[in-house]
Amino acid sequence: MNCPLRPMNCPLRKEETAHMLLDYSAGRLDAAGTSVLERHMESCPACAAFRIEQAAVWNALDAWEPSPVSPDFNRRLWQRIDAADAAPWYERLAESLRIAAWKPVLPLTAAILIVAAGFLFDHPGGRSPLPGAAANSVSVTEAEQVEQALDDIQLLRQLNTAASPDSAKKM
Amino acid sequence: MAQGVNGVMGALPAPDFDAQLMLRVRDGDEESFRVLLEKHRNPVVHFLYRMVQDEGVSEELSQEVFLRVYRSRGTYEPTARFTTWLFRIATHLALNWLRDGRNERGQVRLDDGGDGDVPTRDVADRKPSVEQQMVYQARLLEVRDAIALLPEKQRAAVLMHKYEEMEYSQIAGVLECSESAVKSLLFRAYETLRARLAHMVTGGAR
Repeated sequence: MNCPLRPMNCPLRKEETAHMLLDYSAGRLDAAGTSVLERHMESCPACAAFRIEQAAVWNALDAWEPSPVSPDFNRRLWQRIDAADAAPWYERLAESLRIAAWKPVLPLTAAILIVAAGFLFDHPGGRSPLPGAAANSVSVTEAEQVEQALDDIQLLRQLNTAASPDSAKKM
Repeated sequence: MAQGVNGVMGALPAPDFDAQLMLRVRDGDEESFRVLLEKHRNPVVHFLYRMVQDEGVSEELSQEVFLRVYRSRGTYEPTARFTTWLFRIATHLALNWLRDGRNERGQVRLDDGGDGDVPTRDVADRKPSVEQQMVYQARLLEVRDAIALLPEKQRAAVLMHKYEEMEYSQIAGVLECSESAVKSLLFRAYETLRARLAHMVTGGAR
């Protein structure tokens, strides 16, 4: 990591530089940072004490080795995989939903769907008249248009008759 | 499900080798899954063991981790390093188990008429035969208790930092927080550990 530490600044005084001491203790600080920090620790008792204590914690944690994994771990896992693959589709779906249920968006989506479903069930008549009303509206409009067209034709005939009585007779 | 666990964890320029293996699993190559299992089984089981401090539970949770990985193969997308994704699942399961189990364990203590705040531990799997082993076991018990008493996220961060040697950015990806938040978590966690294990400094820990 890059070293943001100036020679006179103690890394423990700022949170953004304090992790340098952790990196140093873990052996993960780059050469430049290590050099600056080691020079600083020569004159900073707080950082020197931090280094000793952190090294002790680090070594104490090293001593904690877990037991070996059970030899039949893989066999049991494949049994579970086979059982899961053989399960009916609805169980697999339920399992998938159960696994995914930790995502906050899913419960929220489910809640919205439930509320929407509840609203629709609560207002069952709200939507049914719409198609009929629309159809009625269309029929009325069409009748009016036909009537208007007939009126227009009648008016044109009258105008034609007034303009030339002979042609009106032929019609 | 993959949508749930694959989540956005920071895009990478190219899938790492494990992610490439997982993509082959997605395409039906079971052998690649076996390779991933062999490679990551021990780290996952050990991480979970240190999180929950129970061998049986850690193996059960690990099985669940790999089962979820396998079952999500069809929709897998390498949006992060494979290990980030894997440990994110493992951490999620461990935190859930700890949160669910805390009440049960508390209830057991009440039912048993427990008389102290110190949780019971089953570390004495191997009976010490010499003084050195007894000292080792005692120190180990202290370390385990010190870790167990850390807040859950701090515990997870320390275990990934110390034992899995993860970068801050990767721990941030697992815990779904910022890198600076991880640094802060780790600094506070190690501060607590130093306070609890300080006597080991003078006790000759090296």
